[in-house]
Amino acid sequence: MSGASARPGQPGEDATPPEPLLRELEALAARYPTRRGGLLLMLHRLQEWRGWIAPADMRRCGTLTGISAAEVFSVVSFYTMFRTRPGARFPIGICRNIACFVQGSEHVTRALSEKLGCEPGGMTADGRFSLQEVECLGSCGSGPCLEIDSRYFENVDAGKAGRIVDALARSDGDATDAIEHAAKAAR
Amino acid sequence: MANYLSLEFARSGPMLLAEARGKGRWATAERVLKTMKPEQVVDEVKNAGLRGRGGAWFPAGIKWSFMPKEPKGPSYLVINADEGEPGTFKDRQIMEKDPHLLLEGIAIACFAMRAETCFVYVRGEYLSSLVALETAIAECEQAGLLGDDALGTGRRVRVLAHRGAGAYICGEETALLNSLEGRRGEPRAKPPFPAVYGAFGRPTTVNNVETIANVPFILERGVPWFRSMGTQGAPGNILYGVSGAVENPGIYEGPLGMSARDVIEKFAGGVKAGKKMRAFIPGGASTGFLPPGKLDVVMDPDALKKEGTMLGTGGIVVIPEEVELLDALRVLSRFFRHETCGQCAPCREGAAWSDQIVGRFQRGEGSGDDFALLNDIMRGSKQRTICVFPEAFAGPLGSALVHFKGDFERNIGPASPVAPQGATSRG
Ligand SMILES: Cc1cc2nc3c(=O)[nH]c(=O)nc-3n(C[C@H](O)[C@H](O)[C@H](O)COP(=O)(O)O)c2cc1C
Ligand code: SF4
Ligand code: FES
Repeated sequence: MSGASARPGQPGEDATPPEPLLRELEALAARYPTRRGGLLLMLHRLQEWRGWIAPADMRRCGTLTGISAAEVFSVVSFYTMFRTRPGARFPIGICRNIACFVQGSEHVTRALSEKLGCEPGGMTADGRFSLQEVECLGSCGSGPCLEIDSRYFENVDAGKAGRIVDALARSDGDATDAIEHAAKAAR
Repeated sequence: MANYLSLEFARSGPMLLAEARGKGRWATAERVLKTMKPEQVVDEVKNAGLRGRGGAWFPAGIKWSFMPKEPKGPSYLVINADEGEPGTFKDRQIMEKDPHLLLEGIAIACFAMRAETCFVYVRGEYLSSLVALETAIAECEQAGLLGDDALGTGRRVRVLAHRGAGAYICGEETALLNSLEGRRGEPRAKPPFPAVYGAFGRPTTVNNVETIANVPFILERGVPWFRSMGTQGAPGNILYGVSGAVENPGIYEGPLGMSARDVIEKFAGGVKAGKKMRAFIPGGASTGFLPPGKLDVVMDPDALKKEGTMLGTGGIVVIPEEVELLDALRVLSRFFRHETCGQCAPCREGAAWSDQIVGRFQRGEGSGDDFALLNDIMRGSKQRTICVFPEAFAGPLGSALVHFKGDFERNIGPASPVAPQGATSRG
């Protein structure tokens, strides 16, 4: 996983958040009865912007909420959605829990793993895709289910998973747009 | 009996305010806030016998009555929309299709509990739910239904959507409160209970999405109507989930007290492709496995308790014959091992050990001694821990040992000399 660069078009490790984002972070801290209440939403916003949560982001959140950067880190490390190093452009999470398992999620995982040439838990050499098995996504009635940056793809079989990857492999623009587009195309 | 919770579920996106008002949303909240007293609302919900749909089935009206009647400072309502129990996908339907139903229920519940602020804790992955909810909240603020002068009553009702970040344990209500406060989602020792010391140290009630979605209908149609559905001990309809190997998986509304067989066969079209069933899970992962011989159990919290299991979230999962029971069990034991927060030794170690032992049987390498070890772990799971998570992982394991012991016995192999290793808890 190490050695990956930030996603194309996304700010590097030393970049400072733009002014509107800084204002948004302040507003999030002010929204809760304690400033710390805003922490999870602040971390989400920073991760959306940078693609991951850098040490500087944790220091900034610490300053904004009045806690130490170490304490921010202890929060970040608790939650599976937060990344503390640059991730793939398209991080694929595939549900391995019971309803999807019964409907063949393991076959989808194997097909994706072969197609991408990376094991579950790994990332492709070009940093475009990562593959991760995740727990129940709350889509049990339309499994197997996979998720890319919280966009859901349902009733996925090996063929459909392949088409999703093909659509994303061709895209150069904004990652979120590409995922929305692939979701529509795969429907 | 007529459905009421799921009428909008067939639509492709959320019902917006204009259409929602046309369907009667917000009319009950307006009448309640303008003409009733908070205690009357609590009494109605108490008399209706509404029980919490998040899994514990605690009577909602009684929970509400624990909140201070003359608060000295803010009280909070927190909606549990963390929906993480495997096999459960109902709350998402309400938020994505009918968000104003939830918001109307929130306005009534806030009034009844004298809370001015409600936080809706939406699980991190539910981006579509979060967006639908935020849109609906903005519509309501614009229209004066929510805000400093909610429904023109001079009362303040604010709803804030919060986003989780991936951790099953945050569904436990005190872990959820810690997470809401920007902390690690670790459950809190109780007492103090949330009604005394909850979110941000203030009196708080935590309710599930589906629980609150029932509230406007109870106030609109009355106690006898609500009690005419479901069972004596658990009135009303429930959103049954059916997933796994069935013809038509999905969310189906029906009265509490249907048989699992009827839910699976009449609603979901029976086992997929006419196959045989190996087992079914009655109400989400932590409720464990029942054999097909138990299909006539009644989907009622008290009836399932007598069967040694729980109704949980009402999310039924059907395991077909081609899936080995031990493989299905391993999926769940791995899940619980991954999701224990690690604060309490019996839970942390028990979840890890049981996963490793199940893995041994799964590979045909179990040993006779492992039964004693598993029983030890089951006993350990009843020790004092900070939360009831050990009951959740003991559900699948214990039920498998009761109903499918043969699967274990067939998989005893040459004794494995390697002792299980300790847990890996969250970072
Ligand atoms: C490990 C664990 C996970 C839970 N997950 C959820 C959940 O995802 N959603 C939920 O509503 N309740 C969940 N609960 C139950 C809550 O603790 C709490 O009982 C519930 O939110 C109260 O709402 P209700 O009374 O309306 O059901 C969970 C409990 C435990 C022990
Ligand atoms: S019982 Fe388990 S999940 Fe609950 S607080 Fe203890 S370690 Fe955490
Ligand atoms: S089990 Fe896969 S989404 Fe629930």
